Order: sequence, then C-alpha cells, then structure tokens
Amino acid sequence: MIELEMRNVTLGYDHHPVMEDVTFKASPGEVVGLIGPNGSGKSTIIRALSHLIRRKSGVITVGGRDIEKIKRQELACLLGVVPQLPLLPSTFTAFEIVLMGRNPHLGLFEAESRRDFEITRQAMARTGTGKLANRHVNELSGGEIQCLLIARVLVQETQAILLDEPTANLDIGRQEDILDLIKNLCRENNLTVLAAIHDLNLAAQYCDRLILINDKHIHAQGTPAEVITNANISRVYGAENCVFTHPVNGLPTVLLSALKKKEIGRNTISQR
Amino acid sequence: MPEKSKSSPQAIGYLYGRRTRIFSLLGLGIILILIIGIATSIGSVPIPLGTTAGILVDKLPFVEITPTWQDATATIVLDIRLPRIILAGLVGAALAVAGATYQGLFRNPLADPYLIGVAQGASLGAVIGFLLPAAWNLSGMGVIPVFAFIGAIAATVVVYFLSRVGKTLPVTTLILAGVALSALLGSIVSYLVISSGSKLHSIVFWMMGSFSGSAWSEVFLVLPYIAVGIAVIVIFARLLNVMQLDEEQAQQLGVNVEKFKIILLAAATLITAASVAFVGTIGFVGIIIPHAVRLIWGADHRFLLPLSILTGAIFMILTDLVSRTVLAPTEIPIGVITAICGAPFFLYLLRRRKRAIF
Repeated sequence: MIELEMRNVTLGYDHHPVMEDVTFKASPGEVVGLIGPNGSGKSTIIRALSHLIRRKSGVITVGGRDIEKIKRQELACLLGVVPQLPLLPSTFTAFEIVLMGRNPHLGLFEAESRRDFEITRQAMARTGTGKLANRHVNELSGGEIQCLLIARVLVQETQAILLDEPTANLDIGRQEDILDLIKNLCRENNLTVLAAIHDLNLAAQYCDRLILINDKHIHAQGTPAEVITNANISRVYGAENCVFTHPVNGLPTVLLSALKKKEIGRNTISQR
Repeated sequence: MPEKSKSSPQAIGYLYGRRTRIFSLLGLGIILILIIGIATSIGSVPIPLGTTAGILVDKLPFVEITPTWQDATATIVLDIRLPRIILAGLVGAALAVAGATYQGLFRNPLADPYLIGVAQGASLGAVIGFLLPAAWNLSGMGVIPVFAFIGAIAATVVVYFLSRVGKTLPVTTLILAGVALSALLGSIVSYLVISSGSKLHSIVFWMMGSFSGSAWSEVFLVLPYIAVGIAVIVIFARLLNVMQLDEEQAQQLGVNVEKFKIILLAAATLITAASVAFVGTIGFVGIIIPHAVRLIWGADHRFLLPLSILTGAIFMILTDLVSRTVLAPTEIPIGVITAICGAPFFLYLLRRRKRAIF
C-alpha cells in the first residue's frame, strides 16, 4: 500500500512551465481522476509521477519516499503505468507484450518462470485479451491494444497504477468493463489509482476524487460532486449550465446542449 | 468479461516457439562445426575431409589419434587455414551481433555496425597507418590494426559526446551525428586515398576487407574484445526486447534506459572496432544477417542475438571460402563476396515472408 504525493511541484519542459504549484495526494484504495481541457497538463503529471520527467521544484513522493531516490527498477515494482496508446513493435505477439510487465521483477540473469507465465495468463483472462495471445500486435485494434496495456500493468503487480486516458479508444461497453475492473482491483488489493480521464461523465462515475486542472494549476479537487459544478465547468471549459444530476446514481453528469451555448451555434439552430 | 481460466494456457504457443528456436540454435551450432571442418579441408592444397577431421579432433583435450598424416599437412590445417577460419567466424559473429544490437537499440532497421562512425573512423586510422613511413611499423603486428582500432573508437566517442543532451542520449541525434561525422571522415579518407599514389591498391583492398594472412596471434588479440562484448550484449537481451516498446515504456517497466544505452553502445562499438581493425570494413553482414534471422526466427533478442552469432559466423566462413577459392590464387575482397552471395538470399527471404519484420 503506497501513497502518491506531490507538494508544491513545478513541472515543465526546458524553460516552459507546464504545471505550477501542484499539491495533491492519492491514497490506497481510492481512484483519483485527473480531468481538464486538452493540453492542461494531465499527462505531464503522470509522466512526472513515473519519473519520465524531473520536477523543477517541490517534492514528489511515492510511498513516502522521494521519487528521485528510488531506482528505476524498484519504482517499476511499486508503480505501473498504462501509457496513452503507444506504438508497439509489430514483431511481438500480444502474449510477449504483456509478459514484458514482469520485467521489473526479474534479475539480469533471470528468465520468466512458470509463475510469470501464469500471472500473465490470468491478467489476459481478466482483461478479455486471452484469445489475442498469439496474435501479432500490428494486427490488433486500438481498443484491443488498450486492454493489453491494462493486462500488462496487472502483470506488473504494482501497488499504484497510473493510467493516461485508459478508455480513450474503447467502445462504451469496454469502457465500463475496463473501469469496473480497475475499480474492483483498487478496492480488492487496496491499490492507489490515478487516471487521466477525458470524459467527465466517466470520471464522475468511477473516481472517488477528482482533480480538475486548468491553465497550469489545479483549479479544484474533491469528490465528483464538489468538482463537477456548473461554476467550475463553465470557468474551465467555457460550457455553460451543462451539469445535471444523474437520474440513477445521483452523481453529477455533464450534458452538452447546443442551445445553451450562447456564442456559437445559435444561427445554425434557429435556421432549422 | 473474465474468460474461463481453464482454457489451454496461452504460454503454450510462446513456449512452442521457444522450443523450435532452441533446436535451431543446436542445429546451427552443429552446422558451424561441420562448416569449419569443410572449409579447413578446401584450399590450394586439397586435404581429405577425414584427415582434416583427424587433425582437428586430435587437438581436442583428452583425445588421441594416431597420425596418418604428414606434419606439413597438419601445419596447413592448424596454422594456416584454421586461424583464418576462426577469425572469419569471430568477425562474422561480432558484426552480426553488433548490427542486431544497433538495430534494436535505435529501433531502426537501417542501422548497421558502422552507423555511428566506426567504419569511417577505422578507415581514416588505417589510411594514416598506410601513409606513415614504413620505419614506423610496430613489432610484428603492423601499425594498421592499431590505428584502425583507435580511429574507430575515437570516432564513436566523438559522436557520443556530440549527441549528448544534458543527461540523455537521444537516439535520433546519435544517428544524425554519426552520419554527419562519417561523411566528414569519409571525405578526408577519399582525399587521402586518391593522393596515396603507389599505396592506393593496398588501401582499397583493406577497406573492402580480407582475412588473408590471418594468424593465431590475431585471433587471440581479437577474441577477448569480441567475447566480452558479445557476452555483455547477450546478458541484456531481455532488456533489449523491452526497449523495442519505446524508451518511455521501457523506463516505466524498470529499465534504466540511459545507462543501458551507454553499456550496449560501448559493447557493440568495441566488438565492431576489434573486428574491423584486423580485417577491414566488411559491409553487409552487420545489417543483413540480423534481418535474415528475424525473418526466419522472429524478433525476440534472446534468440535473435545467439542465432545471429551462429549465422554470422557461418556466413562469414563461407564467404571467405568463396573469396579465397573461386579465383585462386587471387583473392577476391570479402566485401564483394558478402553482398554478391548474401543479397540474393536475403531478397528471397524478404519475398517469401510477407509479414512485417521490424
């Protein structure tokens, strides 16, 4: 069980700051969602937490330890990442790609054992990718690759999982499957889950807490009901009066209506 | 969504692929030994295969065979042909592994062992060696290999420092710096070559590569570099697989990418430089052998690297055999033979397999 934390962190590439004064915490057993407009810095936070980029200032801790002091291989045993639809080498099979999740657990002179194969098989079964095992990844669809990457992070057996747009390429059925799976894993194994999610409705329904990012800063954080409000959404996204209450689960739901958007679309609609 | 977990394990397909490749490794090992025997018995003085085998087996520890051959025959086999064949095998293995390593590290199918300046650096060193007054000649070895080795290492080191950005080594920058420096060194070499007068022929011949006159002393000089370099690369084969994802994913899967790149670059450069120093810049092997192996056995580096070692060694021994026998007593530069023999075979493989290979 580990906690992820950023305290007064500034992130950026070269001299161009992308995020300033970021402070938040993600605890075991909770799913935290990162939401915000395109280019607001959701991926940057995930890249910083997986130590792909270095902070400019502030403190980033994984399980209470400074991330700069954790070796790569150890970090990969603590924290796994599902990247946003990467290119995969076409010559590998789906099974081989998922098996690579065992890499951080293997020593230099070790090969995968029967146990590693079994973990891989189970993860593929859980994500519905078992039947793809011997297919080459260049034959797979975006959604199938997304599921493989989730399987790979399960195989990694980490205590924290970071996901960058895990549902971006999935149909609604698969979106639900994958997010249910992530949420169940989080609850069962007390995992710490941080997910950048584009879709505000999915974020509201599956996350315990949300962090809304806008213009290099954290605009709001709290429960979905606290974060997804008309005030916040119109401020950050410029979409007015579009937050409703979900009829079944009572969670905030964002429904866009062209009629409610004042500046654009009025002419086209009235002409109809 | 969870599937029935009792269905046959997916690992079976994977393990089955492994098993066939392990048999292929054993098969290639046996072929390599046979080829060494056959190549040793062919030459200006034909020696029956049985005699060659007898002489070779006699040299193995704990084996005694009553000689049925003359001492001169044994000398031809053991001191003239065998060191040349062993050197060819070593160089073929080294260039093939170095090529596979660069291709894997750069995730670029066009990469070959000479991509980041080794060949042009070695050529410049060698040409300078040729142009020095003969009095400079060091001991028995000659000055050429030393200069070629120094040139190869120096060129790569320069490329390395030119491409460093902060604490990272971006692969694209490395390739571009290598190509640019190679062009620069290449033009200096060209100028030196055309103004070299009477030495022109021997310089050109060196650059196309040759194993003629190889002796045990050379084998033993090259062996440690190649053995250590290949061992290091093979140890990292699994990480090289993970690197195929991309550098960010490799980091997220626990690979210290920057350290890894430096270790593998150093090892691959060392074995390439050691090979090139003695036999010249033999082309084609380093780029084609790894691709041929990929076409036949797939891209898992844990098999790609050992299979490339054996295939590279076999290929180089065969091409050297062709180069010294076809127009005997004249030797054809080996660089000519590698492409003439290898390219058609590679194109055949490429046509036969339609699947993406890289």
